[in-house]
Amino acid sequence: MKVLVPVKRVVDANVKVRVKPDNSGIDLSNVKMAVNPFCEIAIEEAVRLKEAGTATEVVAISVGASACQEQLRTCLALGADRAILVETDVDVQPLGIAKALAALQAKEEAELVIFGKQSIDGDNSQTGQMFAQLTGMSQGTFASEVAIDGGKVQVTREIDGGLQTIKISLPAVVTTDLRLNEPRYASLPNIMKAKKKSLDTVTADELGVDLTPSVEVVAVNPPAERAAGITVDSVEALVDKLKNEAKVIS
Amino acid sequence: MSASQADLLTALGQAIPAAQTSTEPAMLNQYGCDWTRAYEVAPAAVVFPKTEAEVVALVRQANAEDFKLVPSGGRTGLSGGAVASQGEVVVSFDKMNAISGFNAVDRLVTCEAGVVTANLQAFAQEQGLFYPVDFASSGSSHIGGNIATNAGGIKVIRYGLTRDWVAGLRVVTGTGELLTLNSGLVKNATGYDLRHLMIGSEGSLGLIVSADIKLAPAPEPQNVMVLGVPKLTDLLSVLTAFQQRLTVSAFEFFSDLCLRKVLAHRDLTAPLQQACEFYALVEFDESNLEAASDAFAFAMDQGWVVDGVVSQSEAQAASLWALREGISESIAADTPYKNDLAVRVSDVPEFLEAVQAEVVSNYPDFDVCWYGHIGDGNLHLNILKPKDLSVAEFVQRCEAMNPSIFAQVQQRNGSISAEHGVGLVKRDYLGYSRSAGELALMQGLKQLFDPNSVLNPGKLLR
Repeated sequence: MKVLVPVKRVVDANVKVRVKPDNSGIDLSNVKMAVNPFCEIAIEEAVRLKEAGTATEVVAISVGASACQEQLRTCLALGADRAILVETDVDVQPLGIAKALAALQAKEEAELVIFGKQSIDGDNSQTGQMFAQLTGMSQGTFASEVAIDGGKVQVTREIDGGLQTIKISLPAVVTTDLRLNEPRYASLPNIMKAKKKSLDTVTADELGVDLTPSVEVVAVNPPAERAAGITVDSVEALVDKLKNEAKVIS
Repeated sequence: MSASQADLLTALGQAIPAAQTSTEPAMLNQYGCDWTRAYEVAPAAVVFPKTEAEVVALVRQANAEDFKLVPSGGRTGLSGGAVASQGEVVVSFDKMNAISGFNAVDRLVTCEAGVVTANLQAFAQEQGLFYPVDFASSGSSHIGGNIATNAGGIKVIRYGLTRDWVAGLRVVTGTGELLTLNSGLVKNATGYDLRHLMIGSEGSLGLIVSADIKLAPAPEPQNVMVLGVPKLTDLLSVLTAFQQRLTVSAFEFFSDLCLRKVLAHRDLTAPLQQACEFYALVEFDESNLEAASDAFAFAMDQGWVVDGVVSQSEAQAASLWALREGISESIAADTPYKNDLAVRVSDVPEFLEAVQAEVVSNYPDFDVCWYGHIGDGNLHLNILKPKDLSVAEFVQRCEAMNPSIFAQVQQRNGSISAEHGVGLVKRDYLGYSRSAGELALMQGLKQLFDPNSVLNPGKLLR
């Protein structure tokens, strides 16, 4: 069984980002970039399927600038067999990415495509679902457990208020939630071996896909800053503030 | 309340408002000790000055009314330097915690003594700068305590010690005189630099009330590697392989026993598939990843390392660091007997083997956790208490071993306390690292700055 894993290059989750002064977006200069954490979980799941003998080949794919090769190399070090970069300087959005991936899937004919449930920069949670629609594949989203059984996938989904278990047919799309697995560290010997693995680059034109964004970002604003706390002198003053300023009691 | 205690409170009341003084048993217990647990905790009171003037008044009162003062910061020390066990008055700098000034041209930040190290680090980051002195207890320790002990930590190999970042100090001496030392000057060739005498003096010469701290440019994002190193003596070869190719920000090591303790204590993942006798942790600038990978490949070819991992995100870097920084806490339950030794970096391998041989031959039944800042020649030797042994007997047996270990240090002109200070724990062993002539001069300095011995009596010097 061939498994595709689309991965996204994003700002490291632990970085405190700053909005550009003109509010056009996030300032990415000298900022640590990493594999989107949910995509890391997707790669880990695919590699585990391969280690278990269920999957035969794991292919990591990214859509974006040539710097994404860095994240694809990480995926190769973590156990992917080969990687493909759909290289573009366009600031890609979910629909464009889903179309590019669908064009690749038409060639690759993978039986399972594992996405992260969302990227931590855009927070869209759309690409996997759009891809499933474009390819007509069944989908199991927000997975915290995945079990392949013959031509079926049993997916335990994290939903509001509990867990939902569904069974879908292959070929299928699964999107990963946080608790699916804990990704391993990239081993240095594997990183060295990964240098020999193939990383192909294709363009959107070669795939015949239009990546032009369909959504225009009007402005990006940081969250409102919280005011500092104050110390009050007495319980009466506290009650007064809570009633008349914070208005949390009446 | 005994008569003498009433007198003391009256005397304190003339120096500091009564609301800033406590004799509550819980407060005395909390503020009367550091992380050492071997000493009786018995201060008479704890005071919380808010101004320099109050600190000056306290020291003058102590001289006039004959009581002793123990300065207290974040109380994370490991040598008993902040322990009050003889009815002293603890002077906590908790309320003097303002970052009172910043100058972008000088890259200097002025801090009161009670500023928590992590808050200074966060402040620097907000200015787009960096305060590079960092260690596991930075979330509690105070900058005043860092200076009084010349704290080191995990980035010394690249950025040096606290001493290297102190550009000015305000200090109240044992006679109650307020000194302004160096005032943030870069150059100042006007004789004895009393600032540097105060740094590392453990509160024995003066109480540090504020400091001008230099900040560094913000570093680029860091990558962390953890490597499996089977032989202790190969660790330095690994360090050299890295240093020949790049500047490292940290080079730490820990033994497999340390790792097992941390994994049992915290929810962390083992870094490597197979356990290894020792591990090295290397941190470096992200742009040096290629050079670091070459160093790894070379070390692997030489057979010095057998496996390794590298962080792919800040979260992973933090998890790998936690394996090293979590050690001290994870072995706390084993009542470790700590030694914090230093020799020249080049002497480390054979020194390690010699000390290891001492421990194994004397006490085959004790577990030993080795870890530390090997790139600085600084080794933390932690002997763990066997479950069935009483603390008293355990400490006694460890102390009996000290002379043979310290003799190994002395032979190499090493230090019996690399960065933990002397306090009470190492005081009686100072002769292994300092000559009689030096000790006499140190006593003379103490007499000069604090003639009535009101400041931290019994610490560092008898």
